[in-house]
Amino acid sequence: MFDIMTVFESLIEIIRVVPKTLLLALIILLLSFMLGAVLTYIQSLNIPVIKQILDVLQSFLRGTPNVVLLYLVYYSLPLAISYFLSLFGVPFDPASLNSAAVVIVTFSICYSVFQSEIIRGALHSLDKDQIEAAQSLGYSTTQTLRKVIVPQVMTEALPDTMNAFLIIIKALSLAFLVTVVDIFAQARLVGAQTFSYLEAFVAAALVYWAICGLLTYLMNKVENRMRRGYV
Amino acid sequence: MLSLRNLKLSFDGSQVLDDINLDVKKGEVVTLIGPSGTGKTSLLRCINLLERPDSGFISLGGLDYDYSRISKKEALNLRRKTAMVFQQYNLFKNKTAIENVMDAQMVVQKKSRKEAYEKSMQELKRVGLEAKVDAYPSQLSGGQQQRVSIARALAVEPEVILFDEPTSALDPELVGEVLKSIEEVAKSGMTIMLVTHEMSFARDISDKIVFMDKGRIAESGTPEEIFSQSTNTRTQQFLNKFYTAVH
Repeated sequence: MFDIMTVFESLIEIIRVVPKTLLLALIILLLSFMLGAVLTYIQSLNIPVIKQILDVLQSFLRGTPNVVLLYLVYYSLPLAISYFLSLFGVPFDPASLNSAAVVIVTFSICYSVFQSEIIRGALHSLDKDQIEAAQSLGYSTTQTLRKVIVPQVMTEALPDTMNAFLIIIKALSLAFLVTVVDIFAQARLVGAQTFSYLEAFVAAALVYWAICGLLTYLMNKVENRMRRGYV
Repeated sequence: MLSLRNLKLSFDGSQVLDDINLDVKKGEVVTLIGPSGTGKTSLLRCINLLERPDSGFISLGGLDYDYSRISKKEALNLRRKTAMVFQQYNLFKNKTAIENVMDAQMVVQKKSRKEAYEKSMQELKRVGLEAKVDAYPSQLSGGQQQRVSIARALAVEPEVILFDEPTSALDPELVGEVLKSIEEVAKSGMTIMLVTHEMSFARDISDKIVFMDKGRIAESGTPEEIFSQSTNTRTQQFLNKFYTAVH
């Protein structure tokens, strides 16, 4: 029997992991954004060989499911770190690597490709006029970047970045596979304890929905604020 | 106050500006006229280094630079002594009118917000836009945007303001208000270099007219000398074409 009270009880349990889930998602968003920016920059330089390597890498990341990448990193990252540290004579036990680190590394790399696309699109929308105006007034390169380019590019990139944030929050449900407890994982645990899986997953769905709804609402407000003056 | 010597500029092997020599005195209004594609705009853009000349010398307000080996820092120094009013206004689209005027004062000149605000209000009043200070460029007409851009140029108190076809992108009925603002600026004693196709305005406002043709200065002189007494055939051809088009 479906029991509404159990849904509430599960909700309370699940809400406890919301901050951790959001924090993970935020770290991944920031890292993937930075990585994406670096990718965009390197690609804009058009260096032969490096450009081809990045193209292959991007196509690989795009063409592989997140689950597979997650397992790949889960099994390779500890070995890689252990090998790297051993070069400096630092002992490292591959089994001691925090699973959260695995999740952060995997998703940051996965989503950097998408962030790179977002940044490229936003940069493309930037008018040369705006830069020349700043230059003609004597802004240095850094000042032009800080006062003109970044604010305008951020405004353009914001909706898509926000979208990416929601996607990351939802994609984190895969983290359970490598033992990181996010919203979905918590629902499974709660369900397993009480054998009320349906109630637990209903609660999880409600939590996801509430988070996404709230974030969308907030970001629309911010976006409207930033886009004042845009037609 | 501003002088250019042997300025040369080329794009992809074609000579855009060839051996330009020009002197502008303090408070003078110098207008560049001539057929399209003769390098008038490029010449203005060389002065504030939006284009980089191949060679030549510039001196402006105490700075003397050799274009062929000008450093980033020196380019910045030149730009901080000039301001430009663009054909397409080039206002920062994410900032209001007053923020547009304030920004450079705070970022470049490191003025306090209050100081910059007061100066900006004063300059926006001068161009008759005190009622529009909080409007975004997209909420203003072309003429109003161009006047904000004039206020922005005035606010940094440059040695010279470079006007690059300031009315060419405007609807005909909006040209008048912008010309009036430029006239105000000229009367205030600001040194001006202007590129325009408004011949009668050029004639009225200028102390000196420079006629350019094919990347060179073909002739220069007072408005009277150029418009009425010129013996240069290219100048006459150009002006005749203009008069036939207008009348």
